[in-house]
This record gives sequence, C-alpha cells and structure tokens, in this order.
Amino acid sequence: MNTPDLEKFLARLYIDPETRRRFLDSPYEEAARFGLTDAQCRALEQVDRVGLEMAAHSLSIKRSRKR
Amino acid sequence: MRKLDKEKLEKEKLEKEKPNGQKQNDRVGLGWRPELTAGILSHLDAIDVVEVIAEDYFDSPARARSLKTLAAHAPIVLHGISLGMASTSPVDRKRLDKMARLVDLVQPESWSEHLAFVRAGDIEIGHLSAPPRTASTVDATAANLDQARRIVGSSPAVENIATLIDPPASDRDEPTWLRQTLAASNSALLLDLHNLYANSINFGIDPHHFLRQLPLDRVHTVHISGGKWIQNQSKDHRRILDDHLHDPPDPVYDLLSALAARCPNALTVILERDGAYPPIQHLLAQLARARRAIELGRIEQAA
Repeated sequence: MNTPDLEKFLARLYIDPETRRRFLDSPYEEAARFGLTDAQCRALEQVDRVGLEMAAHSLSIKRSRKR
Repeated sequence: MRKLDKEKLEKEKLEKEKPNGQKQNDRVGLGWRPELTAGILSHLDAIDVVEVIAEDYFDSPARARSLKTLAAHAPIVLHGISLGMASTSPVDRKRLDKMARLVDLVQPESWSEHLAFVRAGDIEIGHLSAPPRTASTVDATAANLDQARRIVGSSPAVENIATLIDPPASDRDEPTWLRQTLAASNSALLLDLHNLYANSINFGIDPHHFLRQLPLDRVHTVHISGGKWIQNQSKDHRRILDDHLHDPPDPVYDLLSALAARCPNALTVILERDGAYPPIQHLLAQLARARRAIELGRIEQAA
C-alpha cells in the first residue's frame, strides 16, 4: 500500500503543524484531500496520536537547531 | 601448507587462547566528533576504531583528505545519515556519488546507512523517519541498497532506527520488517541497541525477545548510546527519546551481552555521543564497560 505519495503525506504531517491539526481533526478527510487511496486513508485513521505529537515536537526542535 | 592457511590456523589458535572469552577481533570505538578530537587522538590505545559521519566530509575535499591522515592512526568506518534508503522513492544519485567518492578516497573498513526515509519529494524532514512497514518498503529499500552497492562499489551495513511514532500504515512489526528487508537486500545489520531498546519500551515489546527475532548472523557492527524520557503535552504518556546526549542505560549493556552470547561474528561496537560531552575518561569507561559486556556474552557462548 505504500507509495511515494504516502511518504510525502507523512513528511508533511511531521513538519507542518497546520496539516497535522487538520489531520488530527479529520484523519480520513485530510488524507483523502491529499489524494491518498481509500486503503491508505483508512490505515491513517489508526495513527499513533501520542507518537505523532511527540515525534513532531522532537522534530521541530531539531529543525529549529539546524536553522 | 600455503602461507594463508598457516596464518588462518595461527589466528584461530590465538582466538581459542584468548583467556577472557572475548573473541580476538571484538572491538570497541567512538563516533568521531570535533569536540572529541583531542581526547580520541590521545587515547587511541583504548579506542580500536573510529566511526566518522560521512556527510561532514561530502563537500570539503580538504577535510576529506584529512580523514586519510586519521585513517593512518586508527581504523575508520564511515556512517551515512542522509541517503534515505528506506523509501519508495529512489535514493538520491548525487548523494550516492558523494558517498562513492568519499569511500574511494578514504578506503574505510566499511560504510553504513540508516533504514529510514529523510525526504519525500521536495520535503526535507530534517531527521530519520521510519517508513511504513510494508512489502512495498521492503522491496523499494532492497532496490535502493542495490543501487548504492553498484554506485559505491560495496554494500552498506544498514541500521535499525529509533522512532517515537509507530510508523503509520504499517502492516507488520519491526522485527519482521527488518528480517525481510535484510534478506531481500542481502545486507548486514548495523544493530543499534539503544534504538532497539527505545522502540521496545515505547511500543511494549520485550527487548530481548526483539533481539532474538533478528538474524544475528548478519550483525558485525553495533551502536550503543543513551536517551531520555519525554512526555506528551498532556503528560499522560511518556516515551524514550534516543538523543545521544546520555550514557547508555544498563539494559543496553545487558542487550550487548545477550548479543555477544548469540552472535557468531566478531563485533565492532561504537559508542555514539552527539552532545553534552563528558570528559574523555568518562567515555573510555563506557568503552571498557562495553568490552566487559561483550566478554560476558562470549563466555556464555563458549560455555
């Protein structure tokens, strides 16, 4: 089921707070809006929300240090 | 008897005679960082090998040539952090060419890279991310590693990564994905024991069970490091962050002993430290502890 589009969506989810906010409000709809398949959207509905929050926070710290 | 056969027998004899159970070629070393330069160079008697971050030398021929000087004093292995092998997108050709040039110049003992994706399209994530664990990423990673092998001229060992998030859209667990990816690419595993430990704790797996599920005959190199507990915003969950700013915790040394008890290969163990640098004697003490952990495992293996 994995495609480059799914990786692009995950990358955006990890680094863009606005995408992440919309996704956490409506996971299926946000993934579908990005053009992912029904199977991918359904899989993303089961996302590890705690891990997503922590990973995104950790990443934002690392990215800000690199700037 | 041919000279080579004679040398091989002598080597085997030496290994058998090693009194403390440690295999002759088990080694410990440190990650090369500018802050540790003086400490490493003045203690090469206690440091068997040095691991260098390849990307630090990609765009500076003068710095790259300085590695040749270092290589004259200590065995060097190169470690990549930016290639993004575990991706359904092809690995970046320009970066592979840079790795090939560096490997050609420095002639390291080996080179390695992570099983991670680090970019997608025009988006640079800025860190190592775990791909969805699926058949697609197994196949695509194997294709990327094959491409790397052809361009660089040798196969990288590939490292299991730490992740705070259970990779979305996965349909298999990490040990299964690692086994399949290593088999599909016929790759050696650079086993990061703190990554294994952190993922195990964060996602409710017994780390020793995780270790036993891996093809340990593919392990020749090992990373050890440390991390810290972090909490989510509402402070009702905590996970281990692999930050390389702390000493390896006790369970990592226990895992190293367990690995040494089961692994048939000589092991090269690299201590990674990326900041909050303690005095070099402190790091050397950790290397000594790693040696003891290996010895304990080898004794168990020999029993």
